[in-house]
Amino acid sequence: MGGVHHHLVAKGTRTLVSIILETGEAREVHHFSTLIGYGADVINPYMAFESIYKMIQDDMLEIDFDKAVYNFIKGSIKGVVKTMAKMGISTVASYRGAQIFETIGLSTDLVDKYFCGTSSRCEGSDIDKVAEEALIRHREAFPDRHIDAEEAALDAGGVYQWRADGEFHLFNPETIHLLQKATRTGSYEIFKQYAKKVNDQSENLSTLRGLMKFKTNRPPVPIEEVDSIEAITKRFKTGAMSYGSISKEAHETLAIAMNRIGGKSNTGEGGEDPERYVLMENGDSKRSAIKQVASGRFGVTGEYLVNADEIQIKISQGAKPGEGGELPGSKVYPWIAKVRYSTPGVGLVSPPPHHDIYSIEDLSELIHDLKNANPRARINVKLVAEVGVGTIAAGVAKAHADVILIAGHDGGTGASPSSSIFNAGAPWELGLAETNQILLLNDLRSRVVLETDGQLKTGRDVAIATLLGAEEYGFATAPLVTVGCLMMRVCQKNTCPVGIATQDPILRKNFEGKPEHVVNFMTFIAMELREIMAELGFRTINEMVGQVGCLDTNEATKHWKASGVDLTSIFHKPDVGDEVGAYNQKSQDHGLKHALDNTHLLALCKPAIERGEKVRVELPIINVNRVVGTITGSEISRKYGNKGLPEDTVYLKFTGSAGQSFAAFTPPGMTFELEGDANDYVGKGLSGAKIAIYPPRNARYQAEDNIIIGNVAFYGATSGEAFINGIGGERFCVRNSGARTVIEGIGDHGCEYMTGGQVIVLGETGRNFAAGMSGGTAYVYDIDGLFEKRLNKEMVNLYRLIECSDADIENVKTTIEKHVALTGSARGKFLLENWTTELPKFFKVLPRDYERMLEAFKRVADQGLTGDEAAMAAFDENLKDLSRVGGN
Amino acid sequence: MGKPTGFMEVERKNDSETAPIERIKNWREFKAHPNEKDQRAQGSRCMDCGTPFCHTGHMVSGMASGCPVNNLIPEWNDLIFRGRWKEALQRLHKTNNFPEFTGRVCPAPCEGSCVLGVIQPPVTIKSNECAIIDRGWEEGWVTAKIPAVRTGKKIAIVGSGPAGLACADQLNQAGHSVTVFEREDRVGGLLMYGIPNMKLDKELVVQRRVNLMIEEGIEFKTGISIGNDSEWTTERLRNDFDSVVLCCGATAGRDLAIESRDADGVYMAMEYLTTNTRYQLDHQFDGSNPSLNATGKDVVVIGGGDTGTDCVGTSLRHGCKSVIQLEIMPQPPEKRAANNPWPEWPKVYKMDYGQEEAAAIQGRDPRHYLVQTKRFIKDAAGKLTGLEIVEIEWAKDDQGRFVPKDVDGTLRVIPCQLALLAMGFTGPEQEVISKFALETDARSNIKAEHGTFTTNVPGVFAAGDVRRGQSLVVWAINEGRGAARECDRFLMGITNLP
Repeated sequence: MGGVHHHLVAKGTRTLVSIILETGEAREVHHFSTLIGYGADVINPYMAFESIYKMIQDDMLEIDFDKAVYNFIKGSIKGVVKTMAKMGISTVASYRGAQIFETIGLSTDLVDKYFCGTSSRCEGSDIDKVAEEALIRHREAFPDRHIDAEEAALDAGGVYQWRADGEFHLFNPETIHLLQKATRTGSYEIFKQYAKKVNDQSENLSTLRGLMKFKTNRPPVPIEEVDSIEAITKRFKTGAMSYGSISKEAHETLAIAMNRIGGKSNTGEGGEDPERYVLMENGDSKRSAIKQVASGRFGVTGEYLVNADEIQIKISQGAKPGEGGELPGSKVYPWIAKVRYSTPGVGLVSPPPHHDIYSIEDLSELIHDLKNANPRARINVKLVAEVGVGTIAAGVAKAHADVILIAGHDGGTGASPSSSIFNAGAPWELGLAETNQILLLNDLRSRVVLETDGQLKTGRDVAIATLLGAEEYGFATAPLVTVGCLMMRVCQKNTCPVGIATQDPILRKNFEGKPEHVVNFMTFIAMELREIMAELGFRTINEMVGQVGCLDTNEATKHWKASGVDLTSIFHKPDVGDEVGAYNQKSQDHGLKHALDNTHLLALCKPAIERGEKVRVELPIINVNRVVGTITGSEISRKYGNKGLPEDTVYLKFTGSAGQSFAAFTPPGMTFELEGDANDYVGKGLSGAKIAIYPPRNARYQAEDNIIIGNVAFYGATSGEAFINGIGGERFCVRNSGARTVIEGIGDHGCEYMTGGQVIVLGETGRNFAAGMSGGTAYVYDIDGLFEKRLNKEMVNLYRLIECSDADIENVKTTIEKHVALTGSARGKFLLENWTTELPKFFKVLPRDYERMLEAFKRVADQGLTGDEAAMAAFDENLKDLSRVGGN
Repeated sequence: MGKPTGFMEVERKNDSETAPIERIKNWREFKAHPNEKDQRAQGSRCMDCGTPFCHTGHMVSGMASGCPVNNLIPEWNDLIFRGRWKEALQRLHKTNNFPEFTGRVCPAPCEGSCVLGVIQPPVTIKSNECAIIDRGWEEGWVTAKIPAVRTGKKIAIVGSGPAGLACADQLNQAGHSVTVFEREDRVGGLLMYGIPNMKLDKELVVQRRVNLMIEEGIEFKTGISIGNDSEWTTERLRNDFDSVVLCCGATAGRDLAIESRDADGVYMAMEYLTTNTRYQLDHQFDGSNPSLNATGKDVVVIGGGDTGTDCVGTSLRHGCKSVIQLEIMPQPPEKRAANNPWPEWPKVYKMDYGQEEAAAIQGRDPRHYLVQTKRFIKDAAGKLTGLEIVEIEWAKDDQGRFVPKDVDGTLRVIPCQLALLAMGFTGPEQEVISKFALETDARSNIKAEHGTFTTNVPGVFAAGDVRRGQSLVVWAINEGRGAARECDRFLMGITNLP
């Protein structure tokens, strides 16, 4: 395919023809995506069709053949579309021949001829080896001697599920058992047996590092002089796995263990119960040191952020770049919904992008916002190992990230789509080496901490990561194995029998993991690492970071396909002077000292923060004043948690133009009155504060016709109120899960992915309103009668407010009254004065899943149930409801 | 997988059994599969694990963990659940030549390592396996597959136990001409004479498979003891055949060299069991017993393993006066000990069929633990009258090894007219090995690597207990298949055998 396509491109005749490919091999989404990506116009996967035919003939499928083929094609197309979406491409015309791929393990000769222009960083197989593989398969299908008994049943393969004679997996029954036994009995000797099995990949190649060996020209050092185990485990982290994807028991066990050894566990994208911020009686802590902030912003409140030692912005996920997390409704149990500020039983989809990041400047702003939300925490930006990540990382370092994480491809939960697990992302070895090299070349390396993760399983893995430039390390699958994971690969089914990847209360009782198991694992990793350090002659991690000279290609590899691999580009050491620091040596300047909070607000609000006294401040504001009120809010959240202070305790009146992220993450008890206007991200992550914005009192224009706030206001807000006397920009209230807002007109994509709260729009909305909205309520004053056309109805129902309950109508009316009282809105006054004539123009938008759950809640309430009991009853009822949609 | 939540909804249900008091009246098999609906429900309990430990078959702490022939257990469990029995049979036969044997006699390390066993009673893997193959025979799905093309290569296999049969089956299917030599009068080795009929039916199950293999073209020569036979010498085997595979077992029983071992009434368990089964088959189970029998006797079985159990069951069917079993090791715990975690073979207290039968009649488990026999006691005529036994405890000697130590005041004599030695096997008998001039390992087994199965003599392979030492039927099948593959490779240069 690639050969013909490129030949025609070279001859300038490609556009004159269509290329139709007939192949027996193509059968999976990745095959189709790749073929189209390298030029196919039409694919006829005849073998797949014939297999379907055979299955029907053999009574394996009870379906009409044509229908079955239709389903296969439809499913495949959906998969290809999803792949395109992940890469940010909307039309197949743009995707065809776009070659959005990276090859790993193919020789440059082969790539230049067939996949011309695609990157190949470590060389590998040539065309002869590809041919040999095809011949092996052919010989298996058409053997010289037929053995009937052997041909009756096909081989199992073992790619998706481990099989004894199938695809090799590093985690297999033997290694899983050895690791569990080692960590449960505390036996380093057994751990070494496990590590040996994982590290020796001479016969079964599984990783790039399996092709490497150590070399050194330094004298060995006594192991006693090497960094202590404690010093090393401080650099260890567990991976970002949300409470929701894994059970409370598993999540807390990891947290307790990491806190015991001074490492860090990660919340993942699922919020955290504030109950975990309190120390346990025995002195343990269940608090996750790393708080993740991902595109869904689930449970990201002011209190959540101040309870972090590190805040991680997940730009992408190693195992499934381009995709967000997905939690099906059946796993959104009441306790999960609570910490995520969402509705039980309603599926949660994290949007692919952060709606407040469309450029490196936006990322820089988010880093700054989060630093304001918790000045004591390091800001970590998680990137994935793909070609070009080094350049991105350089930008991220300049955007003042404190830590940069390069995530490898083979991590990730079993819940990720198979096509992503097997085909998306790249090995961390490549991404890490590239990042380290580029950071060094730009003298940015010493400003950041470089971290890596992705199936780190042994001390040797960590040693190689260090030599390639990492100084902190994340582990996820292996620690889960120590607490009981048996690689069932049913993470998405809620049936995890060992109580890890499940929320089922009965299955959770099977969880037998202990923090000690994880502590033992981390300790053993450190012990093995120290042995390697001593052997290679390194006393400290810092002096070992980036010493690629200590790595060499392992010539002893016996695998027949390994011979063409060339790791030179990975082992390259940039030629920079001694003045360029090779590991993290200094901290970033986040510029917080210029913040209005630090120059004025914090001091003025001290009586409120310390003693809860009422404070009223009036200040001018101009647009260099970014993230105003957030540091002050963080002090309140730190002291009073999510409940904050009584309403209006801190009353801040500003006059002028507010900079970006006005009042971001601010807690209850703070009120922001702004006479003037505001830039983008007003009320980002609003956590309970009240905001009123109106034009200058002396303005002579009509407020309801003019834009007063920028884009992406109230993104990820969890609670609070806002009254905007004017029009907002695009993406208003995206992923709002609890804030109640009033505004007089908005741009496109309003209420996208919203999961809770209330939005009242007293004017025109842009297109695509309520796309992906799964919770909360929106009321829209349909001023021009065209609202329905702008609404995305995929997930929501539309009602005329006048046909809704009296309580609904009363709610809208009193909220408008409050809006008028706080902002003096003319549009609001007009509506109240003409309520009977204008009420019929109001629509109510209610997500279908959410509505179904609200009804379930109402029914159980009618049965006299309350509180948690009611939530569980409604959730159970919903589980049995067959009409329930899957979650996205 | 059909039913992700099956294990949360269906409880384990074992095969039903004829009550002990009834079944000891005859020599028939006494287990019956659940009805189809229930068996399918049992299939649904399989979790279709991403990493199915049941299917592994590697050695953990010296014992098999998971299935030594790597049965594709999750796959056929699912097919059972879906009622797709014929495909299940294909998947099962893909890895196991004789599921009707393992489905009856295997101790099922698969169930010991079943992931469901971590939280619940494991899936009824053994019963499911047996149900698939029994149904296959009933439905007529198991038919002779006669190779279309013969290679012209001739192979001699010595021994017709599970290793020899598996090896013969594989090599025959690969197109070679296979001759199996058996020294007994019937084919099957331990399957025929080592295991009693009530556990594995000789005519309905073992002979049925042998007949199929004959139909498929395998030649069996019985009554020929290679190594002792004057006509079929080892030289002749080397000359007449292109290759030889030795699968002659580890049949040398462990003896007990104590005072009055020569008493009339002390027998090796295998002699007792073999004599009985041969007699019963010769007499069509007419209710009579051979002269070596337990009728009216106080029987003591020395040894607590499977063979001991078979002796207990056989003695009860002979109508013994009493039967007990002596075991030198302590009674295993009810649940897994801390040093015996899943997925290791569970060393836990279990009642096998013989113990259940004895308990039903005598009121208690016949096994006595931590007991050592000091001497046999015989009367003037040399007949065995009793055993002197003592209770022991295990204590460390000065070199740190555990050794048995007598417990003071427990020495006593128990009445016994029939003592059966079931203490395992020490290794293969040496005649064949020496005649072929084969190297042996420290345990007197033939020296050959698992995986290549090649001996020091080119063209001579060894598989099963003769190579590995006393072990399970399922390991024998594993080795027979592996040796067949290597033998095929030796003869043809390449092989398609698994």
